[in-house]
Amino acid sequence: MIRNALAEAALTAVVVLAVVALVLVPLAMTQADPAGVVSTFLFGPFSNLRYVGNIIELATPSMFCGLAVALILRAGMFNLGVEGAFFLGGLGTVAAALLLPLPPPLLAPASLLVGAVAGSSVCVVPGVLRARYGASELVSSLMLNFAALFIGLYVLNVLLRDPAAGAMVSFKIPAEARLVQLVEGTRIHLGTILALLACGLGALYLFRTAGGFESRIVGANPSFAGHLGLDVRGIGLKAQVIGGLIAAFGGGIEMLGLYQRFSWQALPGNGWTGVTVAILARDHPGLVVPAALFLGWLQIGGDLVARNYDIPNEAVGLMQALLLVAVTAAALTRNPRLLRAFGARPAGAAK
Amino acid sequence: MIDLIGLVPAILRVSTPLILAGLGVHVSSRAGVLNIGVEGMMLAGALAGVVVSALTQDAWLGLVAALLCGAALAALLSGAIHLLRADLILSGIALNMAALAGTTLVLFAITGDKGISGSLASLTLPGIHIPFIDAIPVLGTLLSGHHVLTYAALIAVPLVALLVTRTPLGLAMRAVGENPEAAAATGIPVLRVQVTALLISGLFAGAAGAFLSMGYVSWFSQNMTAGRGFIALAADVMGFGYAWGTLAAALLLGATEAVTLSVQGFGVPSELLQAIPYLVPVLAMVIHAQRRKRHEDD
Repeated sequence: MIRNALAEAALTAVVVLAVVALVLVPLAMTQADPAGVVSTFLFGPFSNLRYVGNIIELATPSMFCGLAVALILRAGMFNLGVEGAFFLGGLGTVAAALLLPLPPPLLAPASLLVGAVAGSSVCVVPGVLRARYGASELVSSLMLNFAALFIGLYVLNVLLRDPAAGAMVSFKIPAEARLVQLVEGTRIHLGTILALLACGLGALYLFRTAGGFESRIVGANPSFAGHLGLDVRGIGLKAQVIGGLIAAFGGGIEMLGLYQRFSWQALPGNGWTGVTVAILARDHPGLVVPAALFLGWLQIGGDLVARNYDIPNEAVGLMQALLLVAVTAAALTRNPRLLRAFGARPAGAAK
Repeated sequence: MIDLIGLVPAILRVSTPLILAGLGVHVSSRAGVLNIGVEGMMLAGALAGVVVSALTQDAWLGLVAALLCGAALAALLSGAIHLLRADLILSGIALNMAALAGTTLVLFAITGDKGISGSLASLTLPGIHIPFIDAIPVLGTLLSGHHVLTYAALIAVPLVALLVTRTPLGLAMRAVGENPEAAAATGIPVLRVQVTALLISGLFAGAAGAFLSMGYVSWFSQNMTAGRGFIALAADVMGFGYAWGTLAAALLLGATEAVTLSVQGFGVPSELLQAIPYLVPVLAMVIHAQRRKRHEDD
């Protein structure tokens, strides 16, 4: 068992490295100093504390979104509202922080709660439509992402906009609502601890509680779960509610941790990164943490390369896309022959 | 008062990419391979059209390049799901990500600018003025003077409807889309049918992209599709599986967008109007699903 799991992990790691090399090497060859590009990309992010801090800052929202997607996918639901939930969660949190007359110690938690509930609607509505009417949660969540964007921009424009700011941004987030910084010389904030905690709790929920067990059964085989007498629709909906709350909470954390004002004019893309994170982590909440850190590393590497060479950091987007395909490609990562080459034993073979 | 007759060309203009891309999604979804990557295919087609028309100084070659680019990405998507056996939806999402990143990289490599292709002398495809009808007051505005791809999109609707409902390929597509195992058991080459459907879908997406960058403007800008591929997905969903339905939905969604554009100066909150094309399809889906459910309950 363990041997086979290790073989699978090793094969996946090799596929991931191959994808990174596949994008990085040809782009590096276009420059006068290809070796410099590669080493900047791979080792630059660890060259000083600030860059390491940047990796962790980037990984924090990816952990929330990756965890949300993982929990939703585990229940067999394909809800892509995480992107909109993250956006609306950020907006809702800022709106609450600006408008709620609360004493300082309560302001941040209350704002995050409001943001989480408001933002989760982008995942919850498709979930309800799926549970009640059988409408595809995939398509409706894709639509609602954009609806959430424009409704959010309306709220920003009408309620939160600072006319003195010159751009379409909110008033300054009150200082007492902002999350404390943890490490001197970086912008790492309390949200990172909360993200790690959330992933830990997510793993406990999924693998150590009855609710998590039920959701895994429903995800693995809905008709079997139905025969067991499980409430398949309700369990699928619950996963989408939880996922939406986590993603929207992540959006709020991002705002209170890193931003002075709400300034998103478009969907920020963290939800899509969350999809890649969840897929890299094989929908395992514990593995979401290293997967998010890994993507953060790639992004900072790409940024450093873009700063020093003529290679735009969109190269990282290309890597992310290829990773998404390659890691889900059964012909690569579930290929019995390749798995055997990495030391797996075929099922039913003699010990 | 808004000039209603004058609004028709505007609606057609906004609807054209939605009709084209919507038909592409329609063909793919009938064959059971819902093309989520249509947004990315449009974006890549838009860039291909600009680059090739600038290099060759021939707008039609640009259009051909856009079509081929869409089809090439569709072939990649098909390779991902059929050869590598990756997930259809995730591969579509990946294709959108890759197209957004890839078009920026290519644009930067060619022009040195990540945002817009302004330095490329690319061309536009022409509009068509129908002789005689052009001169008739109201009819002329309604029927003549539209973009060549607008006419192409409108002609494509009956052709796609015929393809899907009246040809052996269309029958095979619908059978595969309904139940691939059963279709395979009756001897339908499932793989070939799905690949064909995806390639057709890619051609349509490429055409939609060409309209964006070579229709009324002659430039490509980063992420210029801005979610139109997803509205095209919505048009397919609202079309309830018919090409004519997709046309009606695309026109309705296009009309909403055109009205949004024309009332922007009148103090109506444009953000809320912009949300409508994404909310209407969700309502339509609910109504559709409810009807189907009632049908099944009876």
